[in-house]
Amino acid sequence: MSATSDGAEAATTSPPAPAPTMRKERTTLGILMRSPAFLIGAAIVLFWAFCAAFAPYFVPYDPLADDLLNTLAPPSAAHWFGTDQIGRDVFSRVLVGARDILTIAPLATLLGTVLGTIVGLVMGYFGGWVDAIVGRLIEVMLSLPLIIVALMVLVALGPSTPTVAVVVGLVFTPLVARTVRAAVLSERHLDYVPAAAVRGEGALHVMFVEILPNIWPPIIVETTVRLGYAIFTIASLSFLGFGVQPPSPDWGLAIAENYGVLVGGFWWTVVPATVATASLVVGVNLVAEGLQRAVAE
Amino acid sequence: MSRIIRNLGKWRLGRNDLENHVLDAFLSGRLDRRSFLRHGACVGLSVAAMAAAMKGFGFDPVTSALAQNGKPGGTIRIALIAPSGLIDPVTVADQYGLLVLQQVGDFLVLDGPDLVLKPMLATEWSPNEDGSVWTFKLRDDVKFHDGRKMTADDVVASIERLADPDNGSNALSAFKGVLSKGGTKKVDDHTVAFHLDAPNGNFPYYLSSDNYNAIILPADYSGNFEAEMNGTGPFKLEKYTPKVGATFVKNADYWGGAPLLDRVELSFYDDQQPQVLALLGGQVDVIQQVTVQGSQSLFNNPAVKIIQLPSNAHREIHMKCQSGPFADKRVRQAMALTLDRPRLVQGLFRGMGVVGNDSPFAPIFPSTDKTVEQRVKDIAKAKQLMADAGTSGFDVTFTTMQIQELPALASLIKNAAAEIGINVNLKIEDSGAYYGDAVPGKSDWLDSEFGMTDYGHRGIPNVFLTAPLKSDGTWNAANFKNAEYDKLVTDYVAALDLDAQKEVAGKIQRLLLDETPIIYPYFYDYLTATSPNVQGIQPTAMGQIFLEKATVG
Repeated sequence: MSATSDGAEAATTSPPAPAPTMRKERTTLGILMRSPAFLIGAAIVLFWAFCAAFAPYFVPYDPLADDLLNTLAPPSAAHWFGTDQIGRDVFSRVLVGARDILTIAPLATLLGTVLGTIVGLVMGYFGGWVDAIVGRLIEVMLSLPLIIVALMVLVALGPSTPTVAVVVGLVFTPLVARTVRAAVLSERHLDYVPAAAVRGEGALHVMFVEILPNIWPPIIVETTVRLGYAIFTIASLSFLGFGVQPPSPDWGLAIAENYGVLVGGFWWTVVPATVATASLVVGVNLVAEGLQRAVAE
Repeated sequence: MSRIIRNLGKWRLGRNDLENHVLDAFLSGRLDRRSFLRHGACVGLSVAAMAAAMKGFGFDPVTSALAQNGKPGGTIRIALIAPSGLIDPVTVADQYGLLVLQQVGDFLVLDGPDLVLKPMLATEWSPNEDGSVWTFKLRDDVKFHDGRKMTADDVVASIERLADPDNGSNALSAFKGVLSKGGTKKVDDHTVAFHLDAPNGNFPYYLSSDNYNAIILPADYSGNFEAEMNGTGPFKLEKYTPKVGATFVKNADYWGGAPLLDRVELSFYDDQQPQVLALLGGQVDVIQQVTVQGSQSLFNNPAVKIIQLPSNAHREIHMKCQSGPFADKRVRQAMALTLDRPRLVQGLFRGMGVVGNDSPFAPIFPSTDKTVEQRVKDIAKAKQLMADAGTSGFDVTFTTMQIQELPALASLIKNAAAEIGINVNLKIEDSGAYYGDAVPGKSDWLDSEFGMTDYGHRGIPNVFLTAPLKSDGTWNAANFKNAEYDKLVTDYVAALDLDAQKEVAGKIQRLLLDETPIIYPYFYDYLTATSPNVQGIQPTAMGQIFLEKATVG
């Protein structure tokens, strides 16, 4: 009996001592800091973000300066990654090339997230015919390949940097909306929602003040995942000639401009931009995965 | 010496004034050998007659450029970009469709790679005194693939079809102001007379392979060319599959003698890269045209032969002359002075081209006045001109297409313009968006104040001089309006005699150099790639590939 009560007492009394540290370690940030995937991903993303911001000030050559007497030169001490078809320094171009993609992709993602969150909140909160109609519309949009939809709009409007950001943002909206709607559905039957309604709060207040703060984690994860896709989509659009305009050193554009000479053995005109794009997408995805795990725990 | 004079006298007998004039020009050294051949052919001297003249006077006879030592038989496989639109001789407008036409059809006159006209379905041709009526004699041994004989009726119907505005032919751009509907008349079963809108000294070029729509079809042509392809050419249609390719078998009854090959296989591709890989991998024997940008792996490769033809294909960089920042000609001159042309040719074409001098008179044209001073890069002078024009720089958008080296050249122009304070923003779009509806107001090409357009090779500069530059020109993206220029071009087109053409050409070149409505940075060579076992093929800078004497293996 006493042994049992001792044991029960021990069980109930012992946790308080380690509890603070446990709680501290269980914060999202703590989990992230112990996740190698997240740390590696964050390091890659920060590296490219640093390049996007400051590369123009420290690269060895002007990324736009041509040299027609030194075209397609292989990597050397003077040009670490060689030169392209009009003699521009590939190394300088790859570092500075982070700038466009890291401006457009976050903007597009932000736009997609904001719009998607609004649509998702409305669908999840109101339900019924609003949910049914918007839901079918979203299904229609998602049935078309994302890049095709983006291409059609860009062909109609003509390519420009703001257009690309807006188009990709709009294309992502239904994807984010679907995730947010699911999160809202799991929240809206919890007591605090009817309680707010009983208090006489309006729909807008309930959606954005009551529900939204509780569904942040999935939105943040979704945003990060979308950022990875945005980078990939925008690079694809640039490659197809509907993204960033020349003479930008943008990676997708650089691959498009130079892939024709790849079979000639001039790999250095294409490989650095390809590796850069891949590393950024992988970096963002590692961050997304880390966040997802942290949120799940 | 006395023998030469005797030969000369014999040769002159029976030649008209114009023909004798050409001979005089040649003998006095005003025409070189090539120009003599070319201009003589244009006024109707046969190649044989000119060869006789040159031989008689101690020059080399004209020899066939094609040495033969390949085995007859077999199939040649040619890679090209898929033609856009239907294959119809009336409407074909690209160098891919014309390659299909040319396998099954013949022209009245052949414009060879040396720009010398040679007889094809016509045996001879001659102008009246002022060059306003040209008479063509036809071969009498030509049969269509369905077995019927070709007569003057077929020729009249074929050319009238192209000249009829209702048919919307691609050839109308060339025929405009030259030959109208009703101008083509049968004289007898094997003679046709062309009554022109205005005198034209180079009219035979308009009926030659240069005008690639002008293959001769039966008078009762149904309009369904893809199914029949009933022409007079060296190969007959076996199978045509849109977007995939076409196969042809040899026409044993060909008037020029049966071709050596048994079959021709054309394969359509979407892009240059797969063609290059197909050639390197042995899946095709010929690539119709390769660009320097896309085929670096083919140069200096022992497994590939590159056939390099000088051409006048070029890029036109237009600047709006009536309004906007380029309205002052000094600003246009300044812009033209920023380009380092020899470096462009070296860097973009590995030297396979020649520099342009801001007029369409490429060095390859015999009428070009080569004494006109070449424009070279001069930033100090350009800056001075900008200052004289009262500007220190401005922002402008440069619009062009996503094809070949155009985006690279656009980037180079941006850098060059920056040297004199002009900030160029690039707008590179696909060619459909660039050309738009090809009418002012609905076309980035014609509406952009600063832009660049590609122009293919032609046998004579006439289209280059009229459509993009005359006040009423339909392709006048520069909005260039100059009465003196219009008058000079009319004179040039009418001039029958090469000396007269050259004199007017010099005036046009100097006027354009001064006004600079359009920058012509370079004329690049036409490159065809083949595997080493291909022999005897004869490409032209228009995009045709003559295969009658070709062998493979």
